[in-house]
Amino acid sequence: MTETYLNDTVINAKGTPCSRSVSYPIEASAIRKWAIAVYWPEPAPEVFMYAEYAPEDFDPFAWGPASYESLLPGDDSGVVYRHGINERALGFPEWKFRAGLNGGMNCTYGVRMHVGDVITDVKSVGEYTERQGRNGLMLITQSISTWTNQRNELVKRTINTGICY
Amino acid sequence: MNSSSAPSTPASAISRVQVGEQLPPFTRRTDFDNWNRYAAVNDEFLPHCMNDEAARSEGFPKAFGMGNLQWSYVHSLLRAFIGPDGAILRVDLQFRNPNLRSQVLTANGTVTAIAGDVLSVELWTQEDKGSRLALGTAVVRI
Amino acid sequence: MTVKVGDEIPTFTRETGFANWNRYAAVNDEFVPIHMDDAAGEAAGNGGAFGMGNLQWAYLHNMLRSWIGENGEILSIEVQFRSPNVKGQTVTAKGVVTAVDGDVISLDVWTEQQEGTKLAPGSAKVKMGK
Repeated sequence: MTETYLNDTVINAKGTPCSRSVSYPIEASAIRKWAIAVYWPEPAPEVFMYAEYAPEDFDPFAWGPASYESLLPGDDSGVVYRHGINERALGFPEWKFRAGLNGGMNCTYGVRMHVGDVITDVKSVGEYTERQGRNGLMLITQSISTWTNQRNELVKRTINTGICY
Repeated sequence: MNSSSAPSTPASAISRVQVGEQLPPFTRRTDFDNWNRYAAVNDEFLPHCMNDEAARSEGFPKAFGMGNLQWSYVHSLLRAFIGPDGAILRVDLQFRNPNLRSQVLTANGTVTAIAGDVLSVELWTQEDKGSRLALGTAVVRI
Repeated sequence: MTVKVGDEIPTFTRETGFANWNRYAAVNDEFVPIHMDDAAGEAAGNGGAFGMGNLQWAYLHNMLRSWIGENGEILSIEVQFRSPNVKGQTVTAKGVVTAVDGDVISLDVWTEQQEGTKLAPGSAKVKMGK
């Protein structure tokens, strides 16, 4: 039985920048398909069908970034960690979990995303905690994504929470 | 059963927003049809969202939907309320219970504070029997 | 490369299930219940969900394209879907040269599952790239 998931390496990693991804230029068709999917089966608002701007929840990194760079020293794995951070390169223990779930998101928005925008996502480690639950001891992970556009304007800052057990 | 939220709130109605006001809900019956379409655009092909057996191996009774789609649904709820000239400033959402197959999911919001043209909103999603699936808050400008 | 009748071309293999079927559905807007939901597949008499024929069609094209090279041409292809591609199968696309007529090569092509049962038999005509 696991007594704790948290060691000094995990705790002290808070705030460590992990990666920088740059998106392909946002395309109108991607905005349109996103809107269709999230409004399905009702029609999506016209403003998205003609891609005047993207829904705030739109992800231009779906189906891969245009470029990805690890910011962790010595990480030359070349693996793109889209939804998280490279825990192995951070020196975290090699935990084995039965399940990894989305625990929630907390997001602060800046400017809207438009067709042609190129978004940069810098991910860093948030605060890792643990708590007992009905599935035993659960590791609560946090990663922080900061998105800016090509004009270096803040698009959004998101705290992503994961639950692993 | 599906209903989008009401058409965008016109400016004249916005001036009458009050604390306690309920946002027009956003409802979708959820199953593989929506989840796989969302998976398509978000490249989120998770076994427990596609396959009952995979979900059961993780302790769930059947396949369940991705939290990111509920995230999108609450954004759709807010967008319809604030209108095209409004802005979503902040959203916070925690996923507490899984969105299981065939549930009718409704995103709801209640205005909790008004400061000039900035509203605070309590958010939640619930399934057809009323159990809350995700809880959170938002701050929007109208 | 000298091609002769009887040559078996390099195969194309994929383990299949929801992971590939749903990705294919995504790009082809083919969100059909029998391909996504075991209950729908059972109701259709197949014991569970099964993959779309269009994906096997794509696999056969992948196999041919890889063999003929960038400058080659797939001139024609026809296939019949005889057995369902059910969960857990490893599908292999295969081809055998049946005729060489100048630079036009005819092949028998098919997909089969891991025990050799043919899922989709057919034929194709190609030109090799130079």
